[in-house]
Amino acid sequence: MNPALFLHLMSIESRRLLSYRVDFWITMILTLIVQLVVIWALWTAIFAESGKDIVAGWDLQGILAYGVFVFLTGRVVRGGDLQMAVATEIYDGSLSRYLVYPCNYCFTKYAQQLGNIFPDIFQSVLMALLIIPFMESSSTVDLNLTGILMCLPSIFCAHLLFFMMGLIPQMVAFWADNVWSLSVMMRMVTMLIGGATFPLSLFPDSMQSILYMLPFRYLFEFPTLVLLGKVGFEEWITGIVSCLIWCGFFLLLLIPVWRRGTLRYTGVGI
Amino acid sequence: MIRYLRLYRQFLSFSFSKSLEYRLDFWFRIIMDCIFYVVEIAFFMVIYQHTEILGEWNFDQTLVFVCGFLLVDAIHMTVFSNNLWWLPIYVNKGDLDYYLVRPVSSLFFLSLRDFAANSFLNLVIASGLLGWSLMRYPEPIPTTNLLWYLFLLLNGALLHYTLQMFFLIPVIWLHSNRGLTNAFFSTTKLGERPDKIYPKWTRRILLFVFPLLLMAAIPARVLFEGPSLELVALTLGISAVFFLLMVSFWNFALRHYSSASS
Repeated sequence: MNPALFLHLMSIESRRLLSYRVDFWITMILTLIVQLVVIWALWTAIFAESGKDIVAGWDLQGILAYGVFVFLTGRVVRGGDLQMAVATEIYDGSLSRYLVYPCNYCFTKYAQQLGNIFPDIFQSVLMALLIIPFMESSSTVDLNLTGILMCLPSIFCAHLLFFMMGLIPQMVAFWADNVWSLSVMMRMVTMLIGGATFPLSLFPDSMQSILYMLPFRYLFEFPTLVLLGKVGFEEWITGIVSCLIWCGFFLLLLIPVWRRGTLRYTGVGI
Repeated sequence: MIRYLRLYRQFLSFSFSKSLEYRLDFWFRIIMDCIFYVVEIAFFMVIYQHTEILGEWNFDQTLVFVCGFLLVDAIHMTVFSNNLWWLPIYVNKGDLDYYLVRPVSSLFFLSLRDFAANSFLNLVIASGLLGWSLMRYPEPIPTTNLLWYLFLLLNGALLHYTLQMFFLIPVIWLHSNRGLTNAFFSTTKLGERPDKIYPKWTRRILLFVFPLLLMAAIPARVLFEGPSLELVALTLGISAVFFLLMVSFWNFALRHYSSASS
């Protein structure tokens, strides 16, 4: 795809998202407040009632920092609200116009998805700047510039992985009329076993070894651990490469699904 | 009243027929809700690996609380959820007009017309989970406590609907309520945790201003500690006040409904 067209699509999507500014800010501010209240209350209670100073390698301030930053990075990884766009276009027949465009459909969607995350990045950075001064220091995390710089490519790789993983359930729409529940399923599962709810080190050891072999940890836990200085340089490189290999794996799965789906597609719509 | 019951019977009949049109979706949605139940229970199973007590409750008590919450959610998903999903679309397309001119309460019609038959199976599963959590609860539960608990969970489902309506009705002015809807679903997380983990003032806000704790946490307390007049009156009183406020808000919003599609 022409890079200028790619950037243009991104720009359109960013502006579209900002057209409903009230929605944009209400979603961000309220969900952030709720997240802060829940993680603060939950972890304060756990540390107080268990009488421990360290839980699964985290002190209270460290795990609160994890909760805040996994929320902020996770918003960028999930990238706006395009999770159902592909399924909807297949269902209502509007996919037809993309099929006659002289550009690849998946690239077009990815450009839109990327456009969706720029307002999210802006919001997340703003919220982080507001929250960081109120965070107390932790002995288990180290927030520094190196971590922030290493985190950016990790987030972009995680975003690509989330996009690739999300496409397959959406393409089931070629065979079924209504597939939003598949996307919701994927979201719920990835939130828990991807580390968006809490770090995977809290799971029992037997489960951790399985979870670390799956791609989900690269979505939420890995970028957050990188940001909090809990990942060394070599481990970071390994993580990025593993994440990209998983992207390649999902791409290989996607190609036959797309080919068989488009053969079946009638373009009639609802 | 009889007329409304007859009408609701028609809604049920129509909804079951409609759900069988999309058979694959029927099963997808059942699986989705089951995964939601597994995720919710797994969350607390992991947490209790690191503490014996959370918000004054042990794991058995929290399991009953979580299953109670799942039942409230399943009732909401079955009875109200589809209807509330469509409400903003009706407002934006101007289709709300068709409901306003019918000779029944518009709020009744719009809130109860679409019964989610596929979620009904999940309601059965959620009830089974609650039964299982109560059966494995190690201490005897007095029948009075249990009856009050079940009644307050039903009240919790109605309260869930009432609170969501407060987030939906502004669509009449805002035209897009995606932000408010997302905010509501995020906010309900506060009600998915034991009430005693919250500090005093947060707890008060979640009891009186945005009473999410009345949906499942306070009913669970009634089950474990007995139906004190204070807790029962608080739950039912606040629910009634919020319901009446929501109806007034709906009527007020309808006076500002312009009917123009956009």
